[in-house]
Formats: sequence, C-alpha cells, structure tokens
Amino acid sequence: MSEALSKEMKKGSLELLILALVEERERHGYEMAKLIEQRSRGAITIHAASLYPTLYRLEARGVIEGRWVERAGQRRRRYYRLTTEGRRSLAAQRDTWHAFVQGLTRVARIRPA
Amino acid sequence: MSPMDWRAIVRQALGNITRDAATDEDIVEELAQHLAQLYDEALARGASPQQARERALAELHTGSALQHELQRARSSQPTVPALPALPPAPTSGKGSIMADLWQDLRYSLRLLARSPGFAAAAIVTLALGIGATTAIFSVLDAVLLRRAPLAEPERLVMVWETDRASSTIREPASYPDFLDFQQRAQQFAQIGAFVPAEVNLTPSQGDPIRLASLATTHELPAVLGIQPVVGRTFTAEEDRNGGPRVLLISERLWEREFRRSREAVGQTLRINDQPFTIIGVMPNEADFGVMQVLTLAAYSRGFADRDRASRVDIWAPLQASVQSLPRSTHPIFVIGRLKPASSPALAQQEMTTIAADLERAYPDNEDRGVFIESLDDVLFKRVRPGLWLLLSAVALVLLIACVNVVNLLLARGTARLREVALRSALGANRKRLARQFAAENIVLTVGGGILGVLLALAGLRVLVALAPPEIPRLADAGLNLPLLGGAVVLSILIGFVFGMLPVLQSRRLDIQGALKAEDSRGSSAGRGSQLARSSLVVAEVALALVLVVGAGLLLRSFWTVQRVNPGFDATNVVKAEFQLPPSRYPVNFDVWPNFVEMHRFNAELRRRAESQPGVESAAIAGNHPLDAGFTNSFAIVGREAESRSYPEISVRRVTGSYFTTVRLPVRRGEVFADVEPTAPTVAVINETAARTFFDKREPIGQQIRLWGAPRTILGVVADEKIHGLTSDTPPAIYLPLQQAPSATGAEALLVRVSGSVGGFAPTLRSVVRELDPGLAVFGVEPLERTLADSVQQRRFVMMLLGLFATLAVVLAIIGIHGVLAYTVRQRQHEIGIRMALGASPQRVTRLVMTYGARLAALGIVLGIVGALLLTRFLATLLFGVTTTDVVTIIAAILLLIGAALLATYLPVRRAVRIDPMDSVREL
Repeated sequence: MSEALSKEMKKGSLELLILALVEERERHGYEMAKLIEQRSRGAITIHAASLYPTLYRLEARGVIEGRWVERAGQRRRRYYRLTTEGRRSLAAQRDTWHAFVQGLTRVARIRPA
Repeated sequence: MSPMDWRAIVRQALGNITRDAATDEDIVEELAQHLAQLYDEALARGASPQQARERALAELHTGSALQHELQRARSSQPTVPALPALPPAPTSGKGSIMADLWQDLRYSLRLLARSPGFAAAAIVTLALGIGATTAIFSVLDAVLLRRAPLAEPERLVMVWETDRASSTIREPASYPDFLDFQQRAQQFAQIGAFVPAEVNLTPSQGDPIRLASLATTHELPAVLGIQPVVGRTFTAEEDRNGGPRVLLISERLWEREFRRSREAVGQTLRINDQPFTIIGVMPNEADFGVMQVLTLAAYSRGFADRDRASRVDIWAPLQASVQSLPRSTHPIFVIGRLKPASSPALAQQEMTTIAADLERAYPDNEDRGVFIESLDDVLFKRVRPGLWLLLSAVALVLLIACVNVVNLLLARGTARLREVALRSALGANRKRLARQFAAENIVLTVGGGILGVLLALAGLRVLVALAPPEIPRLADAGLNLPLLGGAVVLSILIGFVFGMLPVLQSRRLDIQGALKAEDSRGSSAGRGSQLARSSLVVAEVALALVLVVGAGLLLRSFWTVQRVNPGFDATNVVKAEFQLPPSRYPVNFDVWPNFVEMHRFNAELRRRAESQPGVESAAIAGNHPLDAGFTNSFAIVGREAESRSYPEISVRRVTGSYFTTVRLPVRRGEVFADVEPTAPTVAVINETAARTFFDKREPIGQQIRLWGAPRTILGVVADEKIHGLTSDTPPAIYLPLQQAPSATGAEALLVRVSGSVGGFAPTLRSVVRELDPGLAVFGVEPLERTLADSVQQRRFVMMLLGLFATLAVVLAIIGIHGVLAYTVRQRQHEIGIRMALGASPQRVTRLVMTYGARLAALGIVLGIVGALLLTRFLATLLFGVTTTDVVTIIAAILLLIGAALLATYLPVRRAVRIDPMDSVREL
C-alpha cells in the first residue's frame, strides 16, 4: 500500500475511530491514540499531529465536547465525550462506512478478517 | 513530571496558532501533556532520554503543517475554494475610510459577479418584495386607511330615497323632498345636496374642454366641512333660483388656468357659454368620493356613467326651485351631517317617519322611503373586503420574499463558512471580515432596494392607470414614502443579519457546531429548520398555484368577453361626443319635438361629416352604443293595464343612418329613415323588447305610447350590448332623433370610415368645431377603443391578479431553488459517497429532483384545494367559465411543474458535479 493512500485512508477513518472511542466513555487524547494502536493491533497508529486537529474539528462541529478535568493526584487533563449530535453522527458514519466497506469488499473482493 | 519543558517545545514548534492567547495556551498544554506522556513511557520502556525525546518529537514531525492543521481545525473548515484576494488591510487614518469602503464594494461586486445566480435571485426577490408591497400598500393606504379629509367623516351619511315599486334602495331624492327633510329632520346638524353635471368650459385660450361639475346647495361645503383654499363658498342668497352666476373652481383647475394666482377670485369663466364669476377655490381633497356616490345610485349618475375616472372641477350653486325641479323628478343627492349625539340608526328611524308622512301627503311619493347609509359605507363597503384580501396577499408575498432571501443567504452562508475560516487562517481579522461581508450585503440590499423602488413607482403607475373609476381616491395615491423606507430598512436588516451569519458563526463555535450538525451525515438537528424551510416552499407553491388559477380564470373570462358579440360593429367607427348649450340651441318644450336649431345643427353636421373623404356614413345619436343612456316607462297601445307591470324601456334616439353606421342587423320589418319632427311618430324595438313585451305576437304595426305620443313599430333590430359586454341587453326602443331630440343637448356623432380609423379622430373633431367653435368635443376615439375601455375594470383585476401570480411563481421558483441548493450543499458528502459507490449522475439527478418534486407536488395538491376553496370569491368577475374550470386548473398545474423543474436545474447541476473524493476525504 502506498504511503499516500494509507494516509488518506487513515485520515478518512480517524473521525469514526475517535467517535467510536469516546462513545464508550470520556477519554483524553493520549488514551485515544493508545487505544487505536492497541485495538487495531498496531495496524493504525495516530500521531498527535493528526489527532489533535481532528479532535478540535470534531469539537467545533459539536459532535464531541472537551473539558479540562482535575482529578486528585493527577494532572489536569482534557477529556472528550460524545454529544447527542455526535451519537447521531456516529450512527450515520457507521452506516456509511458499513456500506462503503461492503462495497469495497464486493468490488475489490477483500476478505473480511 | 518530566524534567523537560514540553510546553516551551510545543510553543516554539507551533508559534501563534489562533488569535486567542488562551486558546493557544490550551492547545499547547494538551499537546505538551501528550508528548510528555510519550516521553515518560519511552523512558519507562528503557529508552535513553535522547531516544525518548526523539520519539516524542516525532509526533510533531510536520511542524508548520501541524500549525496549519490546528488553525484550520480551530476555525474549523477544511477544503479551500479559490478566492479573489481580499483587498489589503485597511490603512489607518480618516482619509482612507472612503477608499477602503470603495475597495470593499468593488471587491463585493467582483465576488457577487462570480455567483450571478445567487446575486440575481436575492436582488430580484428583495426588489419584488419591496416594490410590489409598497405599490399595492400605497394604493390601499390612499383608498382605505387614510381618512377622508373631511371634518368628523363618521358623522356624514347619505340620505337615499327608496322605491318599493322597483325595490331600489339608492335613489336620488326630489328637490321638494330635500326641502322637507331639511325642515323636519332633527337628527341632523345640517343637510346639503348636490346634482352632478358635465359642463363645457371655454378657456381664454385653446379649445373648449369638458369638465365634471357639481351643482350644490349652499350648505354642502359646510356639511362636508370643507374650507376653500382661497375665497369663500356660496351664500344662501347666491343659492336662490335666478341667483348670480358664481362658482368655485378646483385647485387643479386653479393651477391650470390661473397658476394658483389669488387674482383668480373675481375673474370670470365661460361655462356653457355663460360668464360665471369665480368666488373661491376648492381644495383637491374636497373630493369626498363623488364618483363612488354616483356609481351606487340607481340613476342620475351624471358623469359617473361615463365610466372614466372623473374629478369635480366646478362647484356651482344649485339655485333650484320647486318649479324647475318638481317632486316627480329625482336628481338630488342628499348628504347629511348627524348631530354629535345622533346615530345612523336614529336618523333612519326619524327619516322613515318623515318619508311615511310625505308618502301620505303627495301622490308622487307613493312607495317612497328613505335609506340612511353612512358615507364611509357608501365609499368603501364594497371595495374594502377585496382590498383587505389584496393586502393579506401582499403581506404573504412579502413574508415569502423575506423567507426566500433568508434561505438564499443561509445557503450561501453555509458555503461561505469555509471562506471565513480560510480568511481567518490567512490572517484576516474578524473586523475586517465583518466589513467585507457588510459591503456585500450593502451591494445586495441596495441593489434590491433601488430596483424595488423603481418597481414600486412603475407598479403604482400601472395600478392607477388601470384602475377603474369606482375605486375611491385612487387618483390621489402617491408612493407611501414611510412605508417604502420601512420596506427598504427591513430588507437591509434581513440581509445584514442573515448575511453576517458566517462571520458570527466563526466567532461562536457553539452556533457553528449546531450549524455543522445540520450536516446530513446522520444528524437531525437541522431537521426542524429543514422542515420549516420545506413547508415554506410547499406554501409558496400552493399560493402560486391559487394565484395562477385565479389569474387563469380571469384571463379566460377576459378572452371570452372579448369575443362576445356586442350586436353592433365597432370596427372602422369613430365617435365624438358634445353637448349643445341651451343658450344657442334652445330647449323649448312648447315646440317639442321641433327644436329647430338643434335639428338644423344635426342635419348640417351629418352632411359635413359624410362629405369627408373616406366616410361611408355618419349618424347622430343621443347616446353611443355603449352608453347605457336612460330608461322610461311606456305603454303598449291597447294593452295599457298590462303595461303597468312592465319594466322601463331603454330609450335610444338616433338618426336613420345609425343602423347602417354601426351595422346593427335588422331582424324583422324595416328601420326608419330620416323623418320630419312633425311626421307620424315611428319607432323600432330590439329583439329583447319584442320577446319581453310581445312574446308570440307580431310587434310590427303595434304602437308604443311614450312621452305622450303613440309610436308605430316599424321593425325589430338585433340586441346591442348597451349595458356592457357582460350584461344582458335590456329591452330598448329606437326613436328618430328628429322626433325625440335631446333635452340636455348631449349627443354623439358616429362615423363609419372605409380606411383606418386611426387618423380620423382629428378630422372628426374639426368637423364639429368648424360648425360650432364653441362646442367642447370629447370622447373622440374609435368605437373599438370605447369597447375595450368598457372592460377596463375586468382588465384591471386580471392584470393585478396576473402580476401577483407572476410574482408568486417567481418567488416559488426562487424558493424551491434556495431550499434545494441548501439541501444539496448539506448532503454533499452523502451524494459524494453515493457517487463513489457507483451512483450515476442520472441517479443523483433523480435524488435531487425527487426531493424537489415532493415539495412541488405537495404544494400543488394544497394549491388545488386552496384554489377550489378560494376561486369562488372570483365568481362575480368570471364570465363564461366556472370557478372550477378544469382546463385552467390543469394549465396552472403544468405551469407550476415547469417552474419547479426550472428551479431544480441549478441544484441538480451542482450535485452531479460533486467530487466523490472530496466527500470520502472529509469523512
């Protein structure tokens, strides 16, 4: 896979990944980056340089909401959670991606893992 | 804690991100924490501090690219359209403000020129909204809302006489009745009266002109509460029979003849060949609605029968006597001013008693009563509902126009959020952007405003020119400036508020978030407003359909009316009207019908007219074919008792040449030729008279007694539409002019020419003038024109509704377009993905068009229901079509479907041009 295409795909899917992660509970950026890497078994790694602009963009669109949280004995951190809007957006994106992936599968004959 | 200062590192790597230090600080801290944690983690895994540091820093590998990404994210719009460069930032200093503004405006023009569709739609919508509303509201204001310029107008009432025999409730009174009313009525502060007339004015220079005049009792100005501009009104002395020849002139005539000189008072005017002394000038506002009062009357309507907008220019004392105006004639219009404590009901009660007394006292008053009607009702009752309906339609159209503009601006605003973001990123400050957007709005709203004002002016002109004379005070309607200003300000406000949305949104992220959430990528937050917008489009389509159906029905009626056979043939006939003054053409009833001077004039006029080249025949008539003229009671000789229950018969006085000149077909028998005044009296009747009064009997040879003489019927002619094309022809009798000369001297010359009628009018005028230079010749025009003018009210309503329908259709097109364009923009991603998944342009086209079609279809269905419910109000205006005319409704539906298709064109084109990759990338 060419690096350019990989980059495009990552970028295209990052929003979905973020939304899916904060759907479970509120998380901070570092945690998200780690989880993406772990859960994709290393197939997808996200740099801060892509992560944070995307977070801000999603926040600006009102699909996620960030706030600074101070917990006892911990540093002040910025946690993101899914808004009602985000929940709708996530559902729609899942549908779209599902259709997309199915399409890809049918056309390019990709075996699901 | 990491020993390293990650904040400093991040800050150094990114520089200034946004223009907000606090926001920058948050970003820096968040990134710093991320890097610190990576660093710590790497150390924990056994990396050297140097390796750990490199690992963490790799996250920022894109350096300045990251800064750019963050800026974009924070101001939150991706993809960047190509834009003309923003003019340089404003230089400080006062002198440059105008230059900056000029620059902004020029830039705005360039930018708008790049989306001409949007600019045109917004400007046209604004212009239509402002223009149509102001023009129509100005008319309504002049007619309805502005009070009559009379003192306490609510105390003024018309005192009509009623006639139980003919069931009429609005007849003028007799002069003796008027005097009795004055003497006996207690509920009135004052009672006055007037009689309408037309007079010839011979100016010091130029041709005689025909003017509308009122002969009034001396009380009338006081009753109405009108003060003369200069001079005084009549005294009781001057109002006596045989009193001095004095008159008041209108402000308009004063202006025209005397250039508003005060010297006018005391000068003389030649009226009907007699010198009259001017004693004062009546203000223009003195017209209390004479035309409306006269139009309502059962007869004696004077110049109102001429069916043209007339204004009174001459006020003369009535100078009546019970000898000249006995109880049997009813030419007097009575107006009373109620006492403050009284009411129309009380006055009605009192006058009913008085009328009953008079009925007992005088045989002439048999069946007569009194009907008190407030002047306000007389003037406005019949037109008010229609005008309010019109006003509601106007308000609705304005509302729709505003909503359309809002839709357009919103759609554009959404598109421009990206531009705002880009400009912010490129360093434009918000003030600068606001200024630029303001400049654009100024261009749009000022453009719309100017066009709107022009439209309003033109619209008002058209309305006043086309309006039938029955609409009161319309001639005085001027553009309502406060309203015009209000409409312009409103449109500027709308443009400003909604046009600035992108700038506001870029400041308030929550709004922006909400707006972005309208993005169809699964969110339904925007559904509320989407529903609202869609409903408005549905309403627009429905309204447009109702109006188009209405206009279509009127158009079909008009078409049908145009093809009605008037009975006579107006082509190639030219008409001229005049009135022979009794000073030179004496009306002496001792020698009736042998009015020598009149007959001599008529014979000579005919001879001269017929000797003109190109003239086939000439005729003189008491009334031209479309002038209703007057009716009279009559009896069929031998069936007198039966005749008493007959309606009156229309009396037409014509020379023998009339029938050939207007080509009135002879159905049976023959028509009269020129006869001597003293020869045995003869007559011709029309088909309706033959049918109504003779049924299956043979009318020819029978005699009709009229004005004391039995007149032998020679023949039967076809029906002429003397009451207008849409009215049934009344029974009519034609008498030789020589045996029934006009007591008023009013006559019409009708000439049939072989060639074109166009250039013949001046010839005809000069033929009359040469014979008698002192005559005012008026109404010189082809008879076809007279025919066309007779349907002017119909044409007016048709044009008005037609204009409205056009407006509604245009707005509906803009509305559908606006909503679809907005929707396409919102669903850009979805459409892109569909296309990426293989949807063909046809499919995308279908997608967008289906949406548009759904809105249009719903609107059309509602519109049909609305049309079926509302067109019945047009019933009285329709002719030859029903209110549910299927052809019209289907045509209207097809028109709107066409309009809807037109409206979907641009959005569809935009949709199929969406680049699927953009959508995938932006997911």
